[in-house]
Amino acid sequence: MNQKPGVCTFCGTGCGHFIGTENNRITRVYPSQNHPIGKGRLCVRGWNIHELLDTPERIKKPLVRADGGFKESSYDDAVARLVDTLKKYPPESIGFLASPRSSNEEQYLLMKLARAAFKTNNISLDSDSGHRASLNVLHTGTGMAGMLGSVEEIRKSEFILVAGIDITRQNPIIGSEIHMAERAGAMVVTLDSRRTQIAKLSKKFLQVKPGANKLAILALAKTIYDENLSDAAFLRSHTEGFEKFRHAFGLLPDNEVSDRTGIPADEIKAVARDLAKARSAMVFFASGISGLDEDTIGYIYNLFLMAGKVGKEGCGVNPVAGLNNLQGGYDMGLAPDLLTGFQPLADVAAKKFSAEWKTDVPSSPGAPIYEMLSDRSSKLKALVVVDHDEGIVRYADAIGKLDFIAYIGAFKNAFADYAHVVLPIATYVQEDATFTNTERRIQFSMKKIEPEDGLLPGWKLYSMIAGKAGQSWKYAKVSDVMDEIARLTPAYAGVSHAKLSGAFGLQWPVDEKNPRGTKRFDVAKAGRKLSFYRVSDVFEMPAAKEQFPFLLMVGKAQHFWHQNNLMKKTHIPMREYNATLLDYPEGYVEICPQSAKEIGVRDHWPVRVVSPHGEMRVSARVSDDVKPYTAYAPYFVQEMISRFLLGHTEVLRQGEDATIPVRIEKV
Amino acid sequence: MTMFLIKKADVGNIAQELSREYQIYGPMIEKGSGQTFFDRAQDLAEINLSAPIPSNPPKSVVFPQMERILSYEYDRAKNAVKMEPDYKIEPRALVGLRPCDLAGILCLDRFFMGQEFVDEVYLNHRKKMFIVTNTCVAPFKQCFCVCTDSGPAAGEGYDLNLTDLGKECLVEVGSEKGTALAAKLALKPANDSHLAMKKEKVDKSIAMFEGIAVDSKAWISRVMNRVTTGFVKEDVWEYVGDQCFECGACTFVCPSCSCFNIADVNNPECAGCADRLRTWDSCSYEGYSRMAGGHNPRKPVEDRRNKRFFCKLSYSQMKKYLRPGCVGCGRCAWVCPGDIGLPNVVTYVRREITR
Amino acid sequence: MSQVLNIQNGKIVTVPEVATIEEIRDEIREVKTFYLSIDNKEIWNNFKYKSGQFIMCTIFGAGEFAVSLPPSPENDRFHITVRTVGKVTSALHGLKPGDKVGLRGPFGNGFPFEEFKGKNLVYVAGGIGLIPLRSSIVHALQHKKDFGRVLVLHGARTPDDLMYKENIKEWQSFEGFETYITVDAPTPDWKGETGFVHTLFDKANLPVENTIAFVCGPPVMFNTVIGELLKRGLPDENIYSTLERHMKCGIGKCQHCAVGRTLVCTDGPVYTYRQIKTLGEEI
Repeated sequence: MNQKPGVCTFCGTGCGHFIGTENNRITRVYPSQNHPIGKGRLCVRGWNIHELLDTPERIKKPLVRADGGFKESSYDDAVARLVDTLKKYPPESIGFLASPRSSNEEQYLLMKLARAAFKTNNISLDSDSGHRASLNVLHTGTGMAGMLGSVEEIRKSEFILVAGIDITRQNPIIGSEIHMAERAGAMVVTLDSRRTQIAKLSKKFLQVKPGANKLAILALAKTIYDENLSDAAFLRSHTEGFEKFRHAFGLLPDNEVSDRTGIPADEIKAVARDLAKARSAMVFFASGISGLDEDTIGYIYNLFLMAGKVGKEGCGVNPVAGLNNLQGGYDMGLAPDLLTGFQPLADVAAKKFSAEWKTDVPSSPGAPIYEMLSDRSSKLKALVVVDHDEGIVRYADAIGKLDFIAYIGAFKNAFADYAHVVLPIATYVQEDATFTNTERRIQFSMKKIEPEDGLLPGWKLYSMIAGKAGQSWKYAKVSDVMDEIARLTPAYAGVSHAKLSGAFGLQWPVDEKNPRGTKRFDVAKAGRKLSFYRVSDVFEMPAAKEQFPFLLMVGKAQHFWHQNNLMKKTHIPMREYNATLLDYPEGYVEICPQSAKEIGVRDHWPVRVVSPHGEMRVSARVSDDVKPYTAYAPYFVQEMISRFLLGHTEVLRQGEDATIPVRIEKV
Repeated sequence: MTMFLIKKADVGNIAQELSREYQIYGPMIEKGSGQTFFDRAQDLAEINLSAPIPSNPPKSVVFPQMERILSYEYDRAKNAVKMEPDYKIEPRALVGLRPCDLAGILCLDRFFMGQEFVDEVYLNHRKKMFIVTNTCVAPFKQCFCVCTDSGPAAGEGYDLNLTDLGKECLVEVGSEKGTALAAKLALKPANDSHLAMKKEKVDKSIAMFEGIAVDSKAWISRVMNRVTTGFVKEDVWEYVGDQCFECGACTFVCPSCSCFNIADVNNPECAGCADRLRTWDSCSYEGYSRMAGGHNPRKPVEDRRNKRFFCKLSYSQMKKYLRPGCVGCGRCAWVCPGDIGLPNVVTYVRREITR
Repeated sequence: MSQVLNIQNGKIVTVPEVATIEEIRDEIREVKTFYLSIDNKEIWNNFKYKSGQFIMCTIFGAGEFAVSLPPSPENDRFHITVRTVGKVTSALHGLKPGDKVGLRGPFGNGFPFEEFKGKNLVYVAGGIGLIPLRSSIVHALQHKKDFGRVLVLHGARTPDDLMYKENIKEWQSFEGFETYITVDAPTPDWKGETGFVHTLFDKANLPVENTIAFVCGPPVMFNTVIGELLKRGLPDENIYSTLERHMKCGIGKCQHCAVGRTLVCTDGPVYTYRQIKTLGEEI
């Protein structure tokens, strides 16, 4: 047989697949039938991943910038150039931008490289306003910095809320599980400003005004409070700090609910009662530019806590990671203020790491890379970027001003053109690796083919860089790296490659108490009270004004999100993405037929979108999926990222639905 | 028809003998996950004739998920083009094929080789092939081949057909190649009593089918009538379309689905060199029917779903396959994230008829 | 070896034949005509096609696309006329005379000319819809005595979008050939007709009895023209069109061009309106 098991790396769901090879090339993919998440299903990307893995668009030789162009080089010389250059700068001027797609082992070693070899804590993923926001809320509230529930338990849930995430597009197989639960009788409710596929498949759809998610959640919570529907016994014995939430109930008079959220008040009340009376309930949401902000996530968590739907079977407050190892990235300490497993940097943890690594770890937090890039007074001079998407072009100007850039990755990438040194690594099918999916499942992906002649896997390259920088790392094989992670990370304490291989992964914490992992957060085993999250009483809803009557939502479209660099190397997923992009090559703004009529445009006609901070010209896309005076634009179009959205840095940072009041004009 | 007997313990000899001439493919269980694959045997001991129905149909042997059908090089300096067709023609034996999967291959045969043009790429895969089928003495959970006339026993198209009679296997010969192989193995002849035993086994197998499949063959044929004549209401297709995740899985796991995409992929290390790749494609994808320039005659997802079920369930497609396009393996139901595998769609259409 | 397999029923089926671009002519914005010949002389000499058929054209390094054949099968220089609509057609537009392309074909059914003998022929073309009709028009011109009146009605958005302007002038000079031209967005110096192409019907005194109509153009124009023809009493089996679909193989295998029960590449691209009506799909 020629089928090797692995994990699909196109999104954070972590479906299992088998990869077939011929003559050291990837030729096919097939879903894993008994995998607990995929259960034999894959989405359009997963079914075509072999096209990516067989792409000739690979970086195969180290490159060094010389005379305005690139010159092929050896690893020795290119790494020497990298290390010599970085050594010239003080630690605060060096930054590492890690990739949420790298394996746990690679992420861990990059983190170690930054801290142990170059003594800097300037290391981050591109998700400071995204997944991190969810982890902050859940970690503070429960101590678990990850999804509280489990994908496997979706079918055990009686009530499922999908809040502000186009889940059948973004994480289709999680969307499928929700759909299956609905068909088996669960009350599935979608809260969104756009009529997504999951909205169509839900029993109830609350089409909220853009930017009013937080208010809608508050209205749900307030109903539970007013009607005394909360789980009093649960609140008493398992929670603390309800006052951090209660103050918010006074902020939303009953008679304003429908007007401010756009949802009839009795519909909200009915959903609140559904939630309260269900024996088990889950919520799915995403965070960041096309998802929710930390405060809204705090409201969601508090709502489920007061309803007593945390830490029981079929329950879960579930942030969904769009990228395949985003959760793993935070687990591996890819943040300026964290070590592995969400251990705070300035703590005994730093000492533990110093002792294991036999070198001092700098203990004051660094700065997130994107923050440094957008801060004109930042000291950043040299940047190491690993396998990144083109979204980074929105910082092209700042990147162009840096002294030195190194790019590390397996696939060709437009960003590499900015680099002074390019270091290729093997792809994830060319080495054993582990990835941690959105539900904390650490999965082993077996090496499928040998790397091209002389090409190093990431862990060897990082060891080589460390060696040149004066650190002696002695990993004989990649599994040694996981052993070290296990020694330093309580949640990963019981993990090893041997334990993971030949199975479908383990959900952390994996330790002495939970040798087979932890399916979901369990209130009975928490050993602490769950605290309500301190939420704000600010509802800065961007209001439509006379001049800017439309509320524009910015989000992800079709099969294209975060992965553009990889998608472009496939044929069929790329064609599917193109179906949208070619139809609307300048991007589009989606408006309803009534709005189109009022503006005087039809589908495909050019329009100008004007906000107080900028304008862009795109095509109109007329669709029933949005409401009057609501507009939606996908954020993948270059002009939008670089020109229009850049003027809205506040929106980008906050994430709250990325809602912008605009005017839409016929051109 | 010639028939023989082989001891159960000796069944492995068939693959052993075939392996002198052929690469051997068969059902085998992946150890880590317990999943059955129909794949090439690195070691004949991997083949497990009593394994459950393979998760993948054997169509990937004759119609790979991705294959190079042509390589070319345009040498600009010399203004010359070199073109090399790139077909594989190794002789291959499929051992332990389930009857539904054989029906799938027969559909592909008639479609790729029996129309106005012969598909050379397929022809080359199919040219030197030996097929040993295996009667299903018990159905699997998802099966409904009794409704689509493709099982539980194979009728035609095999070189040898095996039926497990207990201690022995009945070996039916379906071709001259099969006769020659049986002679080489010096098998003991079987008689009508063994054929009667087979019939008993098959009848028992049919009796074991669950619900829908037991009712009658009309379960599906009435729906075929509706689909062919176009008398299925729009809202049924809309209901189905709303649930479609556009993943393509149903087409990829279908033993008779044959749509493909062609793409030329440049080799960055050789100027002017490119491979022409043929890969599986799916009518559920929006880009499938979209024309350069933007016009898409089949844009709404329900139109695309409608198309696939039309392909599987209409009489006009039977002209192509000389049998229904659906072979009743049930794999599409198992892989569909939207829960709209073919059996469910049949149920929805029937619901409308009964109304 | 491949040559033998490659050719079925006189058609180049799987592996393209190398052809040379002999000459390139600009037509209108984004549209060029490419004169081609197949390098292998034996195959080139035996290369035959019918009006209404199409070929698959490979642009090396970019891919392959389906394109209709505008030349008449007899005594007409072999060429294709292509608008840039995507990656592959753009790559073709970047080539020069002398460059190589690949050709497979010819494919499709073509127009059943033997059934048209003695009838009036009406060609109604919107914009680049004239390209797939050109072959048939020139064929009719070469066999004028076989037919009654022959009318070419061509409409485009602006005067600059009119196709084959020189050809049309030339056709006008043939006895018994009638050509009518209109634009819907005239420029100040435009002296001809304005309006959509069906507005020419009265002026042309459109024949209905014993008449075959050929309609080709964008979907909106197509539907309007068909409606007008039917209103005037032309039976739907006498209205012909050629359909365009996304195609990959050309030989009925990849299924991309499936429409209703038929495949445009083998059952089409020429359909009567009676067939089109029953295909049950958008055109």
